Amino acid sequence: MDAIVFDQVSKDYGEVLAVDDLSLTIEPGRTVALLGPNGAGKSTSINMLLGLLKPTSGTISVHGRTPDQAVAAGAMGAMLQSGELIPELTVKELIDLIRRLYPQPLDLAEIVKLADLGDLVKRRANKLSGGQAQRVRFALAIAGAPKILLLDEPTAAMDVESRLRFWESMRDYAAGGRTVLFATHYLEEADEHSDRVIVIAKGKVVADGTAAEIKAGVGGHTVRFAIGEQPAAGLDRLPGVTAVEIVAGTAALRTSDTDATLNALYRATSLEVRDLTLTGADLEDAFLALTREP
Amino acid sequence: MLYYARTEALRMLRNRRYIIFVVLFPVVFYLINANIYGNQTAEDGVRVAVYLMVSMAAYGALSASMMSSAVPWAQERQTGWLRQLQITPLPGWAIIVTKLGAAMLLVLPSLVLVFAVAVLQQGVTLPVSRWVPLLLALWLGTIPFIALGLAIGSLLAPDAAQPVAMICMFALALLGGLWFPVQVMGGTIRAIAELTPSYRYADLGWNIVAGNGLPLTDVLVVAGWAVVLGAAATFAYRRATVRA
Repeated sequence: MDAIVFDQVSKDYGEVLAVDDLSLTIEPGRTVALLGPNGAGKSTSINMLLGLLKPTSGTISVHGRTPDQAVAAGAMGAMLQSGELIPELTVKELIDLIRRLYPQPLDLAEIVKLADLGDLVKRRANKLSGGQAQRVRFALAIAGAPKILLLDEPTAAMDVESRLRFWESMRDYAAGGRTVLFATHYLEEADEHSDRVIVIAKGKVVADGTAAEIKAGVGGHTVRFAIGEQPAAGLDRLPGVTAVEIVAGTAALRTSDTDATLNALYRATSLEVRDLTLTGADLEDAFLALTREP
Repeated sequence: MLYYARTEALRMLRNRRYIIFVVLFPVVFYLINANIYGNQTAEDGVRVAVYLMVSMAAYGALSASMMSSAVPWAQERQTGWLRQLQITPLPGWAIIVTKLGAAMLLVLPSLVLVFAVAVLQQGVTLPVSRWVPLLLALWLGTIPFIALGLAIGSLLAPDAAQPVAMICMFALALLGGLWFPVQVMGGTIRAIAELTPSYRYADLGWNIVAGNGLPLTDVLVVAGWAVVLGAAATFAYRRATVRA
């Protein structure tokens, strides 16, 4: 049975349509990135998956149950955006409080190890740094040994080293056959830490596959050169060119046939082409192409 | 859930504001007042030190009820801690019931400390047959105040909940005659005072220590307020946690 199913789910907040007819399926044991710009509907989707928000239409199921049933059964753990801890409690007390609410939690020692909290267990929550607090929040998310772990932009407040340690922790937890869905707007994170990337923009899925597949799907290369004040008309009609963008005197031509495009650029135009570079599509290009405003 | 209640209580005991307002103030006020007026005797022959003990215990319990409910609860809603609990298997009703239970636990130190100081410093003595009902009445009678605090915490953001809870608490303490006897108030204010849960609540205690038993009117008014404010708290809680 699938771990997570969204079936034609929409959510509007009055005028604003946050999630628009979203359908997706995630098999158990996968680590999936939900990638999208701010306002794409990532947090709304995660909150609906937890039963914190109800869809306007469509259904969501978690291992064949409703989100509320799955939460009540202790199947879900999550690190949501902007959750603060109770300042007067110690790390150990917070973890113990949450883990005791689940039917089959992890051992305290295991949680401390997975979340890398070794020397912090006796510290009060109000004495933690931002990165440390995030690790405690991760500990709370996994404390109940949930089959499904949801992380909403988990590394937002972390420095580079904390991030590396965080993703290691996430991997260790996922290794037990658990399903992880994390939202991010960092492309590298989606690329490096998931085995599937679902790109959403304006509440819709715009691409779905491995990071490699998404890069390939956008395809081609980008030719950039300094165009200065010269007229750009006609560049979009060169052979192979699929898109043209001129920013600050630099033209960027996306092309599916580099040879044909370059050939025509030199022979069929009268432009003075300087500082030419050629790059393959990376996930960033793919992402921008997929989520660009029409 | 028991562990949750225990943790909630522990957390407030570590809160400096709770300790100062709830535990120290009533004891200090009692010591000051009792050492000035304590040896006078009221019209019915009861020492003022005994009545003051009830008043200050009631004030302490009232402030404990409001302090341990309104602001912490408003903060938990705003900072996302509530959501953290909502995604655990703990049912929604259990969160608010635990809050009520923990707040009731936190009322006990104020009551017991004021009683203890009254006994030790003022030599107050009462038969066990009055101590036990006194403690029970002043303990269970805090339910309306805790419900009021939770309703405030559910409806308002922390910045607003703080002053509103303080104003409610002082108004209830003042009108309820916990600081000055209602007998010194004017007719209209006194009529209003007699409708408040705080006056009726303290009046339960005053009657018990005087050996008058439990006045039915007081019990009914306090219970009525418990129902009304309990319903308000439940409604406000639903509204605050509604899953739109």
